[in-house]
Amino acid sequence: MKRSFLSMVASSFLLSMTLSGCFGGAANEPPKETPKQTTQTDKKETPAPANTGQAGGGAGANAGGVPTTFKQAPMFEGKNLPPVKDRLPADVKVANEMPPDMLKYEIGTYGGTLRTVTSVVGWDADVFVMTNEPLLNTPGILGKEITGNVLKDYKVNPEQTQFDFYMRKGLKWSDGKPVTTEDVKFSIEDVLFNEELTPVFPAWLKAGGKADGTPMKFKVIDEYTFQISFDKPYGGFPIRLAIESWRGYNDYILKPAHFLKQFHKKYADPKQLEAALKEGKYAEGEWVKLFNDKDITSRELTRPQAIGFPTLYPWVMTKSTDTVTEYERNPYYFKVDSQGNQLPYIDKIQSTLVQNIESVTMKTIAGEVDFSRESAALIKMPLYKENEKKGGYRTLLADMHVTPTDIFINQTYNDPNWRKVVQDVRFRKALNLALDRKEIIDTIYYGFAEPGKIVDSTFNLDQANKLLDEMGMKKGPDGFRQGPDGKKFTIPIEVGAQAPDIVPLTQLVVEFWKKLGLDVTMKTIDQTLWGSRRDANELQATMIWTHTPLWYMADWGQNYWGRLWKLWLDTGGKQGEEPPADVKKFYDLIDKVATSPPQDAIKAIDEVKSEMNKNVWYFVHIDNVKQPLVVNAKLGNIPEKGFAIAGNFSGEQFFFKK
Amino acid sequence: MLHFIGHRLLQLIPLLIAISIIVFVIIQLPPGDFLTTYIQQLELSGTKVDAGTIISLKQQYGLDQPAYMQYFIWMKNILLHGDLGRSFQWNMPVSEVIGERLGLTMLISTLTLVFVWVVAIPIGIYSATHQYSFLDYVFTFIGFIGLAVPGFLIALILVYAVFVNTGVSITGLFSPEYVNAPWSWDKVVNMLQRIWLPIVVIGMSGTAGLIRVTRGMLLDELQKQYVITARAKGVEERRLLFKYPVRMAINPLISTIGWTLPGIISGEAIVSIVLNMPTTGPILLKALMFQDMYLAGSFLLILSVLTVVGTLLSDILLAVVDPRIRFGGVQE
Repeated sequence: MKRSFLSMVASSFLLSMTLSGCFGGAANEPPKETPKQTTQTDKKETPAPANTGQAGGGAGANAGGVPTTFKQAPMFEGKNLPPVKDRLPADVKVANEMPPDMLKYEIGTYGGTLRTVTSVVGWDADVFVMTNEPLLNTPGILGKEITGNVLKDYKVNPEQTQFDFYMRKGLKWSDGKPVTTEDVKFSIEDVLFNEELTPVFPAWLKAGGKADGTPMKFKVIDEYTFQISFDKPYGGFPIRLAIESWRGYNDYILKPAHFLKQFHKKYADPKQLEAALKEGKYAEGEWVKLFNDKDITSRELTRPQAIGFPTLYPWVMTKSTDTVTEYERNPYYFKVDSQGNQLPYIDKIQSTLVQNIESVTMKTIAGEVDFSRESAALIKMPLYKENEKKGGYRTLLADMHVTPTDIFINQTYNDPNWRKVVQDVRFRKALNLALDRKEIIDTIYYGFAEPGKIVDSTFNLDQANKLLDEMGMKKGPDGFRQGPDGKKFTIPIEVGAQAPDIVPLTQLVVEFWKKLGLDVTMKTIDQTLWGSRRDANELQATMIWTHTPLWYMADWGQNYWGRLWKLWLDTGGKQGEEPPADVKKFYDLIDKVATSPPQDAIKAIDEVKSEMNKNVWYFVHIDNVKQPLVVNAKLGNIPEKGFAIAGNFSGEQFFFKK
Repeated sequence: MLHFIGHRLLQLIPLLIAISIIVFVIIQLPPGDFLTTYIQQLELSGTKVDAGTIISLKQQYGLDQPAYMQYFIWMKNILLHGDLGRSFQWNMPVSEVIGERLGLTMLISTLTLVFVWVVAIPIGIYSATHQYSFLDYVFTFIGFIGLAVPGFLIALILVYAVFVNTGVSITGLFSPEYVNAPWSWDKVVNMLQRIWLPIVVIGMSGTAGLIRVTRGMLLDELQKQYVITARAKGVEERRLLFKYPVRMAINPLISTIGWTLPGIISGEAIVSIVLNMPTTGPILLKALMFQDMYLAGSFLLILSVLTVVGTLLSDILLAVVDPRIRFGGVQE
């Protein structure tokens, strides 16, 4: 066992090296020249074929072209459904495109039940990543290219203010009702712009994605075309529809109007609404609660309330007891493979709720799980590997979509002595120099990681000590360095155990920084308390992951290293404290990334990274950590590379090999 | 007697009010509420939660009211409509969340109780009547192990041993193919194949304890004058034993009914978590962790009521069974 584990470690390490090579190279490449800014997808006149060329790009697919004859799953035969051609939209989508180096697409076979396990009530992240459908797609999740998904395509004007969206003709909800701009109109005008249902307009739908921007404007052009416009350029809007915040098609933009109208005060028959309220045990007049309950958003797609809700997902929930939830294929699902087989390939999903995360591991190694990502942890890798044969599964290593635990020093903590020290960039650089990346990687991540590339990864204690001496932090009689007040300078790190690596990593960091003569302490606190302390600006130093630095979102941990400055930004200067000029510049750059079209955003993100390196706002010490993914050995079309998150795992393409 | 019962029932009212207030306060004590926990989870998983969502969630969950108002609304609904409130986590009425799992919990707990009694009482009697015999030592030894080792550890060891040897994970009450199947004879058989494990594990410490108690009590009784007198008068040994001393010795069974009743509902939370049992214990734990206040509060309230009712029951039974016991208010 031991030898096989070692060889596995070695080969995975090699794999991770090559992988990171690809990624690093890709991310730094200058963006490809695009002739004009008028459209984002390559050929707007024939968007569907353009998509399909990409989609079928893998081995075994027809070269380009939309199939004209369609086949359905044997499960539907004799079920009295309309012919499959009529259930599919005229603008059918051919599979989910993925970069060919990440997925070698194979034509699958129908059938089977896929089993997942979750330990959270009403939430199964593994089902979510397989089924969630965003409005637009961004293959490989890096956002370099944006293609159609639920929407057929979109067009943006040169000023980046006006977006025309084209829907798929003949697209149908899972109950067979057509999807048109009527649904979009209802979702936007009657839900989003209804102050009872949406008391505060979401910032990402305001101009520039900012809280103080003007809300978007909406216009229906025809049955299948609608327009969203802003009064300021907002080139980052499509990427927000595609992946950011895991948004599904049904979060704000597209909801089944024909179903939801019966719970909306404006449309519902008062008597029926009252009866529905009574049935759901709501008080009189609580129609908003009832509506919110009936309106299933993407985050709620694994809640029992989703039964009977019309969706566009590959599977729809059919049954939910207190331990098991079942999903069956959606007869009206809009994607096919390049040979015209309607997706998904797999008939059913069965999601089991267990009492805790260890039960998930137990079921995983016993081979009772076909797809497990959320509960899999790097720390359990030897256990997975040991039982791989017996359990009939494979353990893959995908890229983690978050940075592994970063280290934060709160520069706005309310103590002048503390601020004076930590706001000095020399201090932060010294701490950064004292982090021994190699030791972190070897002991905490078993070699499945690399030194971070955003901030300088040099390990040099002498240089670090020199910087601290330069700052005038002398050592006192007790051997500890002193702050400007002449007292021992203490860094109290408080962490919650949100991930398995947080506590051991903190212990290591405490040792590193102690070597500089600093008094560093560590305390593990309850996660809720940790959150409350963070919100109250009471955390001085902590560790948690962030989402962006490795790919593409605007979260650079500002709430942890500059809580009051971020508060100032979010409230338009009403609360918090005004940040210094360099921080403001950093905020502006992040903002530029969020509002620019992909090509410009990728350029801007390089600037953000260089600012980050110059100022070391916080410590992104490691990247390219691996996330284990446990899948049934017979499961096909699982991406072998790329991020371990939604979009990469399009469950409709999975199939059981014979 | 009726006077006594009436008296005790009246005492229950202020007691239950006090309990409900304490329960609610305790649940509210940790920082934040369900929503802060929920929003934090969303944030950490990369979903941006803006101010608007927070406000509408607050309204949706009724968390925009001050805590005492939440308490009054909760109490009002319980008293006037028998409505225990909504569970945030499950987004269902509390009664439905608890109700679904109550049946299995009661089944397991009742069977455990029967198991404990059936095993412990005969062994206790045997140990007492054969004090310091070889078997007495054996039972004592096993009993102490059962008392000393926590149930969840035994459960862990059993689960591990079965997995390593057979490759089967015996978690849950049903094998995967039966979990969602409608009730049938096969499903019952399938359950019976698995249900013994939690029963034995949960019952282990109870059995051990009861053996010791029965043994001790019976040894006490056997020394007493009335036993010696009866034996001297030539009463047959077996009849002598069961007619009086055993009756006295099983007194603890009755006096502990007060704790047994809530035990039947709450189940053994930790063992249930380890064995992945769909019972109520793990729900209570999760509800407390997520500050799902109406669910946790209703649960604790039900448990408290059961404890109080159980104590009342055991008081009455004791008065009936043991003529030596008298209460204030009971007429001679």
